[in-house]
Amino acid sequence: MSTDAGTAAPEATPNTTGRPWSAVFEPRGLALLSTGLLLFSFTFPLYEIIDVVGDPGTFLLVVAVTLAVATGLSRVVGAWTALPVGLALLLLGLWTYASALPADVFAQQDRIFGDVLSLFMGLSVLRLQMIELFALAYTPGPVFLAWYLALRRRYVGTALVGGAALTFFVLTGDVGTLVALLGALGAVGTVGFGRLERFGGADRAVETMAVVLAVIVVVTMLVSVVPGGTGTPFGLFGDGGTETIEGSLISSDERVAIQGSISLSSEVRFTVESSRETYWRTGAYDRYTGDGWVRTGSALGYRGEMASPPGEARIVEQTVTVESELDAMPAAWKPVRVGEGVADSTSVTSLGGLQPAQPFSPGDSYTVSSSQPVASPSRLQRAGNDYPRQIESRYTNLPSSTPDRVATRARQIQDGANAETVYETARAVESYLEREKEYSLDVERPEGDIADGFLFEMDRGYCTYYATTMVTMLRTQNIPARFVVGYTSGERVGDDEYRVRGLDSHAWVEVYFPSVGWVRFDPTPAGPRQDAERERVGGDENGGNVNDDPEPTTEPPSTPSPATNEPTANTPDSTPETVQTLGEEDAVRTTRDDGGGLPLPDPPSREEAALILVVVGGVVAGARRLGLTERVYRVIWVRWQPRDGPAADVQRAFERVEYVLAREERPRRDGETPREYLAAVDADESVEQVYRLHERARYAGDVTVSVADDTVAAANEVVRERTGPFG
Amino acid sequence: MTDADTSTIEQESDDAVEAAGALARRVAENVGEVIVGHQAEIEHILTAVLGRGHVLLEDVPGVGKTMLARSIAASFDGSFNRVQFTPDLLPSDITGVNVYNQKTSEFDFRPGPVFANVVLGDEINRAPPKTQSALLEAMEEQQVTVDGDTYEMPDPFTVIATQNTVERDRTYELPMAELDRFMKKLHLGYPDSGDEAELLGRVVGNHPIEQLSPVATLEDLRAARTAVGEITVEEPIRAYVTRLSEYTREQAQLGVSPRGSIALLRAAQARAALAGRDYVVPDDVQAEVSAIMPHRIRTTTADRTGEEIVTEARRTVTVE
Repeated sequence: MSTDAGTAAPEATPNTTGRPWSAVFEPRGLALLSTGLLLFSFTFPLYEIIDVVGDPGTFLLVVAVTLAVATGLSRVVGAWTALPVGLALLLLGLWTYASALPADVFAQQDRIFGDVLSLFMGLSVLRLQMIELFALAYTPGPVFLAWYLALRRRYVGTALVGGAALTFFVLTGDVGTLVALLGALGAVGTVGFGRLERFGGADRAVETMAVVLAVIVVVTMLVSVVPGGTGTPFGLFGDGGTETIEGSLISSDERVAIQGSISLSSEVRFTVESSRETYWRTGAYDRYTGDGWVRTGSALGYRGEMASPPGEARIVEQTVTVESELDAMPAAWKPVRVGEGVADSTSVTSLGGLQPAQPFSPGDSYTVSSSQPVASPSRLQRAGNDYPRQIESRYTNLPSSTPDRVATRARQIQDGANAETVYETARAVESYLEREKEYSLDVERPEGDIADGFLFEMDRGYCTYYATTMVTMLRTQNIPARFVVGYTSGERVGDDEYRVRGLDSHAWVEVYFPSVGWVRFDPTPAGPRQDAERERVGGDENGGNVNDDPEPTTEPPSTPSPATNEPTANTPDSTPETVQTLGEEDAVRTTRDDGGGLPLPDPPSREEAALILVVVGGVVAGARRLGLTERVYRVIWVRWQPRDGPAADVQRAFERVEYVLAREERPRRDGETPREYLAAVDADESVEQVYRLHERARYAGDVTVSVADDTVAAANEVVRERTGPFG
Repeated sequence: MTDADTSTIEQESDDAVEAAGALARRVAENVGEVIVGHQAEIEHILTAVLGRGHVLLEDVPGVGKTMLARSIAASFDGSFNRVQFTPDLLPSDITGVNVYNQKTSEFDFRPGPVFANVVLGDEINRAPPKTQSALLEAMEEQQVTVDGDTYEMPDPFTVIATQNTVERDRTYELPMAELDRFMKKLHLGYPDSGDEAELLGRVVGNHPIEQLSPVATLEDLRAARTAVGEITVEEPIRAYVTRLSEYTREQAQLGVSPRGSIALLRAAQARAALAGRDYVVPDDVQAEVSAIMPHRIRTTTADRTGEEIVTEARRTVTVE
């Protein structure tokens, strides 16, 4: 996954540090190790989420303190005292979280109930409001109970608590297949090794357990790749199929995953009758996860007219006629009222967008009134940065894993353009992206953070990349911005009538300006995008209409000052520096990208590595169990004798002969002397010679190189005579 | 006990060892003229003599303990004394006394019967501990102290003591610490019927011991003892002996002392010499262990005797 290595591990380590390694391979050590795995499996998703929205330090601290307290209490307090403590921790945490929720949310009891239900139906925890507090409040209970019970050797309890906590995240869809599998292995291992500990696990039993765990992994993995199954062995590798922009962006879904290459569909989606030409917006997203977008909060039913933007606005009336199946409700920003016919089946997202309760069918139609903010550049210049607190906290969050160089680059651009206001900064970033990156639908999705990847490692991309990167860069400068999806204005087919196709789907950026509201910025170069779209539509359509798209890239009539539009020309001091930096970095990237010979497979992720370890452990244990390792070793050992010193050589030759004899006749018994053994078994002359020479070498200290040579030669003969090719 | 040298492995040895082996075999043959059967016990006594040890023969009366000891003594040309231990025997009856010489007006030391190359202590457990200890000091220290003067024992000096296992109520059991000073404790047992018939045939007429003549000189014996002491004992053998002793210490309340380990090693050397071999093999150790270890072991419960523990040790301790 996308988080940096090492930081998520502390949950699993306490039971291994400070003990000699041998203790880890005792049933007790293995059981605690499994418990660590289980703890990891249900704290890791929260850690990842926290990492997305902020700093995970506090969370890790809470986990560590909880583990320490559980360890301490396990030594002094009995289970019947500690269990209520754990439950109380959980309830207290949930109560704290509930009471910290905004009053309006808390007031709607039915909605909370619905939300809890939808959490169990696959609603990601990522969409909870105040997720950080939730994580801090939720974690201590299960972690405490699981670890405490494990230390008290109540492993079944551990597995139940940990399993329940893990199941919660499985239901919310926040746990990947691999982590879930790891958690399951942890639970099985905890109980299994716990049993072994109680009933005296011999090495063989521990080995069997290891084999069982490996089989669990292998079977689980195989089920997904056998013919008739679906997917790839490891659920992480993604489905590589080509998606459409539309498919990836437009649906009433609450998250957007960013794809690799995509294609465009020329199918007509809807037509709009509107007094103004604008972008038809279907949704916005506020939480950036590093590899996609999530909308927090849940949608509410439409309850009459909604608030207009804070500043000056004009009303735009639109009538939308749906031409093909559409699970979205395109409308200009900001919708304030919907027509009577659809009022009951419309819901309003937490970000003020519209969503249909059911998808529209061809022929459906609805009207919507939008209140478009009107703001001239000068008005935006004066807007300042006195943001409402809620807006600022919600729309300037970035994953803590966002590389610092994104912020550095944003500041460079800001400085390079001499941008002093938020508006100028936004324009500078927008024009930087339009200028520096090429438009292309055929891209490979970068590893790690999308914005960072697009900014530093990719030369081309499409609207999703542009918009994501711009939002990220603005947020690094503490400017509230969000990721918006929808359709561009489409093909003008008559007075105030626009035909919108699948290929018009688009993603752009909205930036918040105090006392103005959300203002649209579109960092995607308009020309190449329309070219790409026109190619798909074909020449017979009157493409000219599309070409002279009256809409500028930003919502306000685009009359940018030369200073904003051509930042590089006016700032000679800073520009060369910027350019130089760019050049260097690009060169480095390019060589690295292009210079590769064979494409190396990606190194496995942490979870994959853990699973591979489990499998390898199982294979080794199985081989040991079957005596395979020993057997293979012996096959080589008995035939191949390296020489090191006469005495050692004689001894080794003797042991080889004894090994061969042991299999053919019987092993020499413990108290049996070589002479007694020799008299008891069927010994030929070579054997006798080895024994005679060995006796003199070992008990008379009478050994020379030639004696050693003779002994080894005789031993070789014995081995050759008495063993088959693989014996 | 089986002879260790039964395998086909040929022997190489130097002359001194060969001579020691020949001497032992000669004496054994000589003793065999008087004693019927008991080959193993004879060999045991001889290895004890070669290994500078003393022997305790324990059995019921009348199985030939004294006759065996006398035969061995008679096979060497050294001095031989016999002491019959009785409850009223005094220490000075063994060690000797200072007697006032009226001619010289000085005390002359009259050596007791202990001053001989071979001393037969008959029924040693009938004498009180104080008297026993006089003999034991001579055995351990190779010297005797009388009235503050110390007298060296002759070399070689070997004690063969016998002890009765019947009539326990009128005996003084030898304490563990004193038993430890006997290198070996042997049981003779009854002869089998064939041997006994032959035995009866021999005693008709003159008793054969009357015709027994020495077959070895003291000089031969001293040389043989020196040769035995130089027989090679490699590290694997020393480790094996140590493991055996450790095993008894683990299994019993009182196991074999380091003195016991030393005795075992010496006896094993002598056993090797008996076979004419100039190095010790594990078989030598195994041949000796059951004569040397059991009387040094005290078990807590009656259901396991020292013999059983030693048999276990022989069977389970790995030979490497």
